[in-house]
Amino acid sequence: MTGGLASPIEIESIGGGLAFEVQERSGASPMSCYQCAKCSSGCPVAGRGDFKPHELVRLVQTDQRDAVLSSRFLWECTSCQTCATRCPQKVDIAAMVDALRAMSRAARSVAPSTAVPIFNDIFLDAVRERGRIFELELMIRFKLRSKRFFEDAGKAPMMLRKGKLPVSGTRVGGKEEREALFTRAAEGDAQ
Amino acid sequence: MTYAFFPGCSLDGAAKDYHRSTLAVAAKLGLDLPELKDWICCGSTAAHSSDPLLADALPAKSLSAAGGSTVAVACAACYSRLKTANHHIAGDAALRARVAHVVGRDYDGRTPVLHLLEILCRDIGTPRIAAAIRRPLTGLKVACYYGCLLTRPPEITNFDDAENPTLMDRLMEAAGAEPLVWPHKTECCGASFSITDSSIVLELTNKILAMAHAAGADCIATACSLCQLNLDMRQKDIESKFGRRYNLPVFYFTQLLGLAMGCQEDELSLSSLVVEPKALLQAKGIGR
Repeated sequence: MTGGLASPIEIESIGGGLAFEVQERSGASPMSCYQCAKCSSGCPVAGRGDFKPHELVRLVQTDQRDAVLSSRFLWECTSCQTCATRCPQKVDIAAMVDALRAMSRAARSVAPSTAVPIFNDIFLDAVRERGRIFELELMIRFKLRSKRFFEDAGKAPMMLRKGKLPVSGTRVGGKEEREALFTRAAEGDAQ
Repeated sequence: MTYAFFPGCSLDGAAKDYHRSTLAVAAKLGLDLPELKDWICCGSTAAHSSDPLLADALPAKSLSAAGGSTVAVACAACYSRLKTANHHIAGDAALRARVAHVVGRDYDGRTPVLHLLEILCRDIGTPRIAAAIRRPLTGLKVACYYGCLLTRPPEITNFDDAENPTLMDRLMEAAGAEPLVWPHKTECCGASFSITDSSIVLELTNKILAMAHAAGADCIATACSLCQLNLDMRQKDIESKFGRRYNLPVFYFTQLLGLAMGCQEDELSLSSLVVEPKALLQAKGIGR
């Protein structure tokens, strides 16, 4: 039969590769979502992202890879786990978002407004190097790499005054062992 | 009672006051908290949003060194990461083997992990807390704020009621204070954006402070390094951005317990609070 809808919904795309890839990587089951939007009701950043959580899940279901991987929501989600806790279908949206962040980076689709990937890299480098986070060093390295010099510029002096920003950090022994751990984790992910 | 203490990175930095007040309260209760040997960072949000295997391996490395002792945790984010790694590793033999390969030794995922609130409220118990109170916090209306990661997800943390936890409320009650019924106990403060995007943190902390204020709180009690820092340190910025002035002191729950147990103010590092609690404490006849 011809005619009918001018631009029919492409049913073929529903249940496409993205949902299965996300499930494989995160253990979350996006296909179980029936769009009740309970996740978005409780999400603290639903009002600011380009998508709300239930919309993101729907885009995953319908295989909208580019829209999902370039979404700003991925980098504004606070990982507070409210969505995963309340979902009646037990869709672990928080785990799904974690997997999508990694996929977004791998596809070089990260939303340009975010500095989170830079921060994550600096943070994990510091853990590899020292074993623990030295906050002052982390803040300085982030400012230098992200070039966001003025945001919260008054915080460091205030924290120093309040004794909340020690000027030296701890190092834990076993750096070589840690380097090996990070290397094996990266190799393990590639498998 | 002895626990292997995992203080977490922030307790040696921005949350030194949480560290000091925890040890002061522990001393009053005969609670021994030797540090877990060579513990390393839990990996926090940076690890779980980058690399799931690393996010399980970092906690596994620390927890496998506990030698069967129960691990005590102060920070809600560390607590969440340690318990999540345990949950993953104990429930999945294949993952356990992969983590063992990454860490360089096998770990079964079964080292018990408890937050300080669970230890004080359940293991020590409120009768013993009440017996240690020297200067009750009479008339102090406290909004107990748990943040997101202590209770969520409940099948992993198994902490308390996920929507209305009361462990901290019970401790405050034992200390003579008046814990408030209020709805934002487990809302998120946006801590993972503390350094990367303060606009998110300001928006979320403003809502929490507004709700505590509306509920009639004199102060907020917290059980997480980052929650305390954000709620306390950002009140000036909130005033300039949203035009709301709260002037609500934000304590660690250990600081309030310590005050009630008769600890000295410097043992509790009260001077590191950004919103000055002095006037409030004087008005309520707390401290001295």
